Amino acid sequence: MEQTKLDDYLRVIELCRDVETSSANPFDVDIREKILLLKQRLPELKFLDELLVDSEAMLELAQIVKLQDQWLKQRASALYIDPLLIQLKLKLLPKETLSEAFVKSWHPIAQVDQLSSRGLERAFVYWRELTPMSERFKNQFGTYGIVPGVVDYSDLVSLGVFTAEEFELGLTRLYDELLQKSNGEWLDYRQFIEGESYGTKVRRAYLLAFLISEGRALLKTEPLIGKIWTKALAERVKGTPKSVAISITGDS
Amino acid sequence: MEPETADRALLERKVRRAFQVLVLQRGRNPGVKGWEMRRHLGREYRKIIEVLSEDVAPMGLEVFEVKGPDGTDDSSRFLLRFKEPPTISEAETSGIRIDDLAVLAASIAFVNSKSGRVSRREVEQFLREKFPKWRVDYSMDRYVKRGYLDQDDKGMLHIGWRTRAEVDEKTLMTLILSRAQEAAKK
Repeated sequence: MEQTKLDDYLRVIELCRDVETSSANPFDVDIREKILLLKQRLPELKFLDELLVDSEAMLELAQIVKLQDQWLKQRASALYIDPLLIQLKLKLLPKETLSEAFVKSWHPIAQVDQLSSRGLERAFVYWRELTPMSERFKNQFGTYGIVPGVVDYSDLVSLGVFTAEEFELGLTRLYDELLQKSNGEWLDYRQFIEGESYGTKVRRAYLLAFLISEGRALLKTEPLIGKIWTKALAERVKGTPKSVAISITGDS
Repeated sequence: MEPETADRALLERKVRRAFQVLVLQRGRNPGVKGWEMRRHLGREYRKIIEVLSEDVAPMGLEVFEVKGPDGTDDSSRFLLRFKEPPTISEAETSGIRIDDLAVLAASIAFVNSKSGRVSRREVEQFLREKFPKWRVDYSMDRYVKRGYLDQDDKGMLHIGWRTRAEVDEKTLMTLILSRAQEAAKK
């Protein structure tokens, strides 16, 4: 088929598909004009491939006619409201009012859910073919059924993140820094752990958690204002430590 | 047995049968198609349904008909549903979150305003201006799955069968428009 002849068909198909996959007005497609064009081109078609393209274009036009029918019915149904107006109204309304409007127009279906023999069979097949937990995520994550846990000091040493000497040295340095900066006063926790990179920040937070656990530093939280304070203690205190979860993000 | 008594007994039996058919879920979706009703209750099934609808009214229920795509009796779907909408607190106690209902209300109104057909991406973009992304993604998947919205193979969203069955769309659109006016006045 010559390219120019094919172009007309492809343009019709493309146009129809664009309208089908967007909320564009289906009446933007002039069906009469396109059909006349296809009719005009039809005698030039000789091969099966060409005729197939012609029938595809006709099918797409038929889809547009169907959309036009739905579009008219929707417009006539009194449910149609200008999209810009409704978008504005929806933006204006609080979530509570929107949900209230929904509930006031809602008639839930009343139904009994019961176990059928078919459902029982499906459940049995599902259970039979269910991969054991230890095998289920092996492909994605490469784990062997080890449940998530806590990385402790010995794990970090064995992973090479710290050596025992480095760790002790790091703890002592951080303790000295905190002792000097706090000087008996409460310091802003987040300001104190701040480092030049996210990695440094996490490392400082981790070491500080150790100091607190060992009773060499204290932590105070004020949930109402979201502030966390810390200070070093000159002497180690003993007592029952409490666990506090603090999230460390890269931006704060 | 007198003919009149026999007729009444037959009617009662059929009404009972209609209730059982409606209340027990058979397939994936609730409700019974017109042709199934005809098979269970006979050609006069609409009269039986009328009687049943009156019988269940004191319990706050009604039999509701959702017209099928071709508008024929056979393609209609019959459902048992609440006659009156629940209260907000009743809706909340059923485990549905206010935010989820707000997403659904906004989606239905948005799809209707776009002549009942809009790309999912467009709806999501609009909703993300008001709701967090994770809630929009989660809610859209859920509502498509539950039949409130219908997604075709071209990624276009339409109003789903469940919305047609459960939601009085005209009331919803009217309430959204009127409440927005009140909110603007405040």
